[in-house]
Amino acid sequence: MTPVFLVRRLGLLAAALFGVSLLIFVLLRLLPGDVATIVGGVQATPEQLAVLRERLGTDRPLPVQYAEWAGGVLTGDFGRSMLNGVSVTDELARKLVVTLPLTLTAAVLAVAIAVPLGAYAALRQRAPDGAAVSALGQLGVAVPTFWMGIMLSVVFAVQLRLLPAQGFPADGWAEPGRAAASLVLPVLTLALAQAAVLLRFVRSATLEVLQADFLRTARAKGLTTGAALLRHGLRNAAMPVVSVLGIQIASLIVGAVVVEQAFSLPGVGKMLLADVGNRDLVKVQGTVLLLSGLVLVLGTVIDIVHRLADPRLRDTP
Amino acid sequence: MRSPRIIALAVTALLLAAGCGAADDGSPTGAAPGRPDPRAEVDVRLLLEPTSLDITKVAGAALEQILLGNVYEGLVKYTDDGKIEPGLAALPEVSGDGLTYTFTLNRATFHDGSPVTAADVEDSFGKVIAADSVNPAKASFASVEKVEAKDDTTVVITLARRDTTFLYALAGRGGVVLKKGAANRLDDSENGTGPFRLQNWQRGSTITFVRDDAYWGQAKAKVAKVVFHYIADENTALNALRAGEIDLYTGTTGDSYAAVQGDPGFTVTTGNSNTIFVLAFNNSRGPLKDPRVRHALRRAVDKDGLVTTLGGDHLYAKAGSHTAPTDPWYEDLTSIDSYDPAAAKALLAQAGHAAGLDLELTVPNIYPSTMADYIAAQYKAVGVNLKVNTVEFGVWLDKVYTKADYDLSLVAHVEPLTILQYAQPGYYWRYDNPDVRKWTEEAISAGSDAERDTLLGQVARKISEDAAADWVVRSLSTSIARPGVTGFPKNDTNARLDLSGLTVTTPR
Repeated sequence: MTPVFLVRRLGLLAAALFGVSLLIFVLLRLLPGDVATIVGGVQATPEQLAVLRERLGTDRPLPVQYAEWAGGVLTGDFGRSMLNGVSVTDELARKLVVTLPLTLTAAVLAVAIAVPLGAYAALRQRAPDGAAVSALGQLGVAVPTFWMGIMLSVVFAVQLRLLPAQGFPADGWAEPGRAAASLVLPVLTLALAQAAVLLRFVRSATLEVLQADFLRTARAKGLTTGAALLRHGLRNAAMPVVSVLGIQIASLIVGAVVVEQAFSLPGVGKMLLADVGNRDLVKVQGTVLLLSGLVLVLGTVIDIVHRLADPRLRDTP
Repeated sequence: MRSPRIIALAVTALLLAAGCGAADDGSPTGAAPGRPDPRAEVDVRLLLEPTSLDITKVAGAALEQILLGNVYEGLVKYTDDGKIEPGLAALPEVSGDGLTYTFTLNRATFHDGSPVTAADVEDSFGKVIAADSVNPAKASFASVEKVEAKDDTTVVITLARRDTTFLYALAGRGGVVLKKGAANRLDDSENGTGPFRLQNWQRGSTITFVRDDAYWGQAKAKVAKVVFHYIADENTALNALRAGEIDLYTGTTGDSYAAVQGDPGFTVTTGNSNTIFVLAFNNSRGPLKDPRVRHALRRAVDKDGLVTTLGGDHLYAKAGSHTAPTDPWYEDLTSIDSYDPAAAKALLAQAGHAAGLDLELTVPNIYPSTMADYIAAQYKAVGVNLKVNTVEFGVWLDKVYTKADYDLSLVAHVEPLTILQYAQPGYYWRYDNPDVRKWTEEAISAGSDAERDTLLGQVARKISEDAAADWVVRSLSTSIARPGVTGFPKNDTNARLDLSGLTVTTPR
C-alpha cells in the first residue's frame, strides 16, 4: 500500500465528515419549528421567547452557530441538549447499550435463519416444502415490522406471559437477565423482518450457483448436490449475499427505529425521533454526526484492510 | 443435525433469562389481601414524556403532571375537584383590599432534610417574577409586586392589583418552592418537598419515584415506588396492560376502553378534566373574520356523533364553550350553535360562500386523526373544503401558536384558566371583543369569588355566542386500573397526577 493512497483515503474521510456536518446543520435549520417555543410553551410571552432564543443561541447568525458547534466537535465536544443540558456523547452511550445489542443480535439471527432456509428453498425449489419456505419469505417481507412486533407481543407477553411486552429496565443492564428478556421479542421482530429479505437473496444466489459449471463438475466427481453446495457452492453464493448484507445495515437501523417504538425501548432510534420532534437541534446534529462518522470511519478501515488483504489491489494507487 | 440443537439451546437460554426476569419483576408478596401494602411498587402508563424535569424553565403538561404534588409542592395545592387547600403553608390571611396575602409556613422539610423557610419562598417567587425570568408560569404571577420573608415562617406577598386567580397560580407550577441557593441540576435531579423523591429517569422509557420516608406531611405516600412508563403507541401500551405490566393506565382512548370493557380484571374510572379540544378559528384572517362563517362551521359539526365516533361518553363529552364542570362558573352552553347543517349552509350563503369555501386545518400529529377527519367530512357536507395539514407539535407551536399563520387549528388545551386568554387579542386565536376584555379584567380584580364566577360565566357565554372558536369535545379523564389499586386522582389526570394517596391492597 502506498502512502499516497493512505493520505488520499484519510483526506477523503475528513472531507466527507465536513460535508456531512454541514449537511446535517443546514437540513435541520430548514425544518420549520423553533426550540424556544418548545421550552417556553403555550404560556410564554413574546419577551420570554426572545430571552430564551438569546440563551439558547438560536438568535445568532447561522455561520456563527455552525462555527461554534464545529469548533466544539473538533475538540471532542459534541454539544448538549438544548432542552435538558445532557451531553450528547453521554446520552448516545446510554442509548447504544440498547440499540447495539438489539441490531447486532438481530443481524446475526437474521443470517442464521436466512442462509440455511434460503439454501434449502433453492435446493428444493420444485418440492412443496421448498416452495413453502420461499412463500414464507415473501410473506415476511410483506408484513409490516410494527405489526409483527405487536403480534409477537400479544402471543409471548399477553397470552403466554413469558416475556415483557415493552420497555427496558430502569437500571439498564444491572440485572442482565431482565435486560436480555426485554430484548428477546424486539430482536426476534427485527431479525424476522431482515431474514425475510435476506432469504430471497440467498435463495436466488444459491439457484445461480447450482447451475454453475464448477458445481456440475463437483457432482460429476461423485458429490451429492447438498455436499457440493456446502463445499463449493456456498462460498461462491456468499459474495452477492454479503453485498446485500452491507446494504441491509441501513435498513437494520431504520428497522430499529420502528422496533424501538413498537416495544417502547429507550434506544438511539426512539431518541432521535423524539429529539427531531422537539427541535433539539444541537443534540440531533451531534447524534447524527457521531453515527454517520462511525459508518464513514468503518468504511475507511474496511477499505484499508481490503488493500492489505488483497494483493491485486495493493499496488494500485 | 448440529444447528437445530444449537437453536434449541439458544431458545432455552432465552426463556430461562426471561424466567429470571419475570421472577425478579414480581410484586412484593406477603401483604394480606384487602390491606394496604406499604411495600408495593406501582407501574403507571403515561402518554407523553417530559423533555426535561426543570419545572422552573421548561414548559409542558407532561412535567407538571408527575412533579406537582408528588415531588414539588407550593404554599397551597389543588384538590382533585379543583379546590384550593393548604400546602406548605396554611391558607393565607388576605387584607381587605385583596392586595396583601400573609402566609404562615408549616414545618416542612426539603428532601435533603433542611427546613423550608420564608427565605426559600421569597427566593423562589422572586425568580419567577424577575425581569429576565423564563419561567413558563411567569405570566400567571403578573399581578405580584413583591414577596417578602417577614420572619422564618411568615411570607407576605403584595399584589399590584387584586387578582382572584392568584391562589390558582400559587397552586400551579409557578408556586413551587425550591431551596434557596441549591445548586442541583433541575433537569434531572430534585430537592423538592413532596411525598415522593425522583429516583431515576431512563430517558425514552421510564421515570421512577420512591416514597420519601421522611416526608414532613401528616400522611406519607402509601406505596414504596411508582414507575411511570412512557408508552406512546396505544397497541404497545395495551399489550403491556394486558400482560400485567401496568397497574394504572392513563390516556385511555376508544380502543383501549373497548379492549377492557366488561373484563373483571380491570376497573375503569371516569372523571372530569379541563382538557378541551379547541378547533380554533383565526378570527383575524380571511373568511373567518366573518362571524356568520364561524357560526356556520360550528353548526356543521355533529358533536354527539363525534363523541360516539371517538369511543363514547365514557371518554368524551360535548363542550359548548371553553369551560368544564369543575369550573365554579360552569354553565352548559352546548345548545349554542347546535348541530344544524341546513342553517350552516344558509349562513355560508349569506356570507357569500354559497359556491363553497376552501380552508386549511393545522393539527399536531400527537392526536389521533379521527377527529380531524370527522370534522373535514362534516364540513364537506355543507360545502366547505377542509384541507387537513398534520404537523409536528413543534411546528404547530411555531406556525400557529407564535405566528398565527393558519386558518383553523385543532389542539387539546389542558391548562386551567385558559378562558382568560380570550381577553388577549394577541393570543393565537386573535379574538378581540371589548366586553370579554372588560369582564375578564373585572373578574380578575373582583371583590369576591362569587363576583368573579359571575363575570367568567358571562365570558364563557359571550365567546360561545360570538363563535370565537369551536370547542369540539372535552376529553374526560378515564383511567384503567387493576383491582386492588385505588386512591389515585380521578379528574384531570392529563394535567396533574397526584399519587400521594395511591394505595395497593392486592399483589399482582
